[in-house]
Amino acid sequence: MKRRSFVKGLITASAGSVISSPWVAQKTFAAAHSDTVKLGCLFSSSGTMANIEGRLNFVARMAAEEINAKGGVLGKTVEVVTTDPGSDWPLYAQLGRQLIQQEEVAATFGCWTSVSRKTVLPVVEQNDALLYYPLHFEGEENSKNVVYLNSPPSSSVLPAVKYLMSEEGGSAKRFFMLGSDYVWPRTINQQLKGYWAEQGIEPDAWREEYVPFGHSNFQTLINEIREFANQPGGQPVVILTVVGNSIPDFFREYVNQGVSAFDVPVLGLDALEADFEGLDTSSLVGHLNCWAYLQNAEGPSNQEFLANWASYVETNDVPFRPDVAIDPMISTYDGVHLWALAAEKAGSFDVPAVRDASAGLTFACPSGYEISMTGENNYVKRGVFIGSLNESQGFDILWQSPDTPEPVPFSPYMNT
Amino acid sequence: MLPIRQFFARFFIPLVLVIAASLPANSQDRTAILAEICSGDFAAQQSALGQLASAGVEHGEAGANWARAIVDAFEGRDLRCGDGIAVIDGNAGPIMAETLEPTIGVDPEGLDAPSVNLRLRAVASSANAVLRLYTEAEAAERLSAASYIDRRREAATATNIGAALELETDPDVRAVLTTLRASLLLSDADPTNRIGAIEAIAEDATLRNRTTIAEAIKSETDAAVIASGETALASIDRTLAIGQVLATLYAGASYASVLFLAALGLAIIFGLMGVINLAQGELIMVGAYAAWFTQEAIRYALPGLLDYYLIIAIPVSFLAAALVGLIMEVLVIRRLYDRPLMTLLATWAISILLINTVRVTIGSQNLEFHQPGYVAGGFPIIGDFIMTSNRLFAIAIAVLAFIAVVVLLRKSLFGMNVRAVTQNRSMAGAVGIDTRRTDMMAFALGSGLAGLAGLALSPLYNVNPGMGTGFIVDSFMVVVLGGVGSLIGAIIAALGIGQINVIIEPIYGAVAAKVFVLLMVIVFIQWRPEGLFAPKGRR
Repeated sequence: MKRRSFVKGLITASAGSVISSPWVAQKTFAAAHSDTVKLGCLFSSSGTMANIEGRLNFVARMAAEEINAKGGVLGKTVEVVTTDPGSDWPLYAQLGRQLIQQEEVAATFGCWTSVSRKTVLPVVEQNDALLYYPLHFEGEENSKNVVYLNSPPSSSVLPAVKYLMSEEGGSAKRFFMLGSDYVWPRTINQQLKGYWAEQGIEPDAWREEYVPFGHSNFQTLINEIREFANQPGGQPVVILTVVGNSIPDFFREYVNQGVSAFDVPVLGLDALEADFEGLDTSSLVGHLNCWAYLQNAEGPSNQEFLANWASYVETNDVPFRPDVAIDPMISTYDGVHLWALAAEKAGSFDVPAVRDASAGLTFACPSGYEISMTGENNYVKRGVFIGSLNESQGFDILWQSPDTPEPVPFSPYMNT
Repeated sequence: MLPIRQFFARFFIPLVLVIAASLPANSQDRTAILAEICSGDFAAQQSALGQLASAGVEHGEAGANWARAIVDAFEGRDLRCGDGIAVIDGNAGPIMAETLEPTIGVDPEGLDAPSVNLRLRAVASSANAVLRLYTEAEAAERLSAASYIDRRREAATATNIGAALELETDPDVRAVLTTLRASLLLSDADPTNRIGAIEAIAEDATLRNRTTIAEAIKSETDAAVIASGETALASIDRTLAIGQVLATLYAGASYASVLFLAALGLAIIFGLMGVINLAQGELIMVGAYAAWFTQEAIRYALPGLLDYYLIIAIPVSFLAAALVGLIMEVLVIRRLYDRPLMTLLATWAISILLINTVRVTIGSQNLEFHQPGYVAGGFPIIGDFIMTSNRLFAIAIAVLAFIAVVVLLRKSLFGMNVRAVTQNRSMAGAVGIDTRRTDMMAFALGSGLAGLAGLALSPLYNVNPGMGTGFIVDSFMVVVLGGVGSLIGAIIAALGIGQINVIIEPIYGAVAAKVFVLLMVIVFIQWRPEGLFAPKGRR
């Protein structure tokens, strides 16, 4: 470690500890610089989500730098203001309000878990601001103040579950749903149950379990999964919706208890390349995930993004790996560019103008798809990838959609 | 060196068979099998893998060797398919799949790899294990292949296992294969074979095998088979019940060991010295990071000892955390012994300082730990109970740490000083004990124990800057419940909380278990504020 960065770190850290742990990192000097336009970030650098959310701050900065290098937006330089909500959901709302009212940001990029988005939602609606949300999520929401950069279940979870139920995917017949206890897992599982009921699958073919946030002791639950899997009735799978640091904890115990992907594959709906950074994945090969981007996506735009990220990490001493890119990073990156395109098109930074200009915008996403914003709401049409975990902590592409399906915000399976 | 008989059985006889009978048909078969595996059609690929697994039956070792090369290439995604040709594009350069000869005039770049999904990969790995029975020269390798097939039977048939059994000379492998072959005859036409199959399956009493037998006797008509099946089920059920009880006890004990390790240092710092140290969790983190640095240093300097880094790191983690504790004590805590609230705030600030220092200097990602054999995987004990090694390691460290601390406090001069200072500080000072120094050393000991906990927990938990915050509430809970100042109390409290947690969890879920345990602790403290074991000292 370099001595200067160490000293710098010490000073920053102690400054932080004196003020209070979460803080708005970049204080502004004058109320408004006339030649800059601000974007706000609401991603945690501490708490259970820090490891994965933290890197989104840097991606937003990187995208802003790219835009600035091409002359900025409407002649103004883009400045990114980051915050640390500390994985503490109410704090997202508080810092969001601060960003909008005090920092007067033109748009906010933020939230990972749905619970944090739900707390920020009233804030952006009251202030008629814009929140760009980069995660695939449970749908059932359609606010004019949120741009849903990633897919609702119809174009992420459902294709993956259908794949698992197909003959090629292993003819899954029985499902163990294990999630963190909050709105995203519960809504997703509700929709899945509706879907299975419609397919004529009996309720005794599934089980649903929830654990608290940050849960780390999965011994008992994996015992139960093994027991569930060994009962008659056909191929079992686990639909995993635990989030944050619970994901590596789950997989570590899974391997140690000797369950392999051949016996009971796990579809990790929030599992990303970054979650496996500390794990030896050779005995986890074959577990699945589904996202709108995988690092192994083919195409020159992905290679370009990966190279840019690696050099950004090098030059700015970013405390994350230069060789790992995850879907929410790409979504955030897309979001910053989509916002810039919309502002250019509108000729203004006003939220209503930007929102109106957004309809129909297209952008060449690093995933290789030409993504586009829908005309009738703030959803984005994205491609679908199903990935299979490989030995080197990455995901191989098992299946990808031929085009970008139309997002369906409200699931037809919700109340069946 | 192989004994002569075995040599003949394994090499000579199959060789004769191959030369005498199977060469012409072989080539056609090979083309057909390769065409199927390249077809991209799931059912055809599956049947091709089945045929490959049985290649040793008629074509002996030569056939098995070829089939194994194909299966390996398929599993490793080295197989490339083109129009009517298949090429293995391995590390040693491209070779023709049919003949395993180097390719002439074929460019593997333009060819596609056949898709390998999870199902096919499972069949392929099973087929590979069957072929290892025919091709491995070492009996130990064949034994491991046989026990692998026992768990993964997709490509095993009574015929291909039977043929392998005939070639087999090693008695251990023969024993495994005999049971395996018998168990594959569950739907045989002969009822005696079916009974044999049930008995063979019931030897390994797992829920999966129970399901297999239960499914088989559902459609069974022969009364003797049904009777044998029911006896087998009853015996499996007994074993499973024992396994389940043991699994629950083990889960409870392992959770308790985590709680106890996290609380042990605090039991000394808070329990004996009365300092509310909110940075205790961060000392655990320091210990885990010290273990990681030790691992990296060994990886760099002595890669041969990498597997033992967890043992080598024991003093390193202990001393690193003890040193941090010592500095904390000298700079801050010593000045605040008579102001507990200030200590609370100051240690909290130190904890934030430590977290953020690590975050900015090393980063917030989870550290990657090498997993030596003794903390990876687990041993099946009885029924479905698997004893996981990483938790066993934590239990062992917890027990050793407990013994060491008890001996230190009871038998050493330093321990006597600590106890004296705890019981009556001014009297201890009056008889000539350097209370200042004792405080400092005791604080360093408590911090070092937290560092040790960090080491023991690194195979179980994610190691990142925030890892310590999760432990602080639990460790205070254990210390307060056990009775401030009592090590025995801490161990009993940890066991109690751990066990109650794992008993409630399967019934009401993990969320309810946490709530319930906290409520119980609150009620207990209301009823008995001094905890399980009240301290005898005067304060």
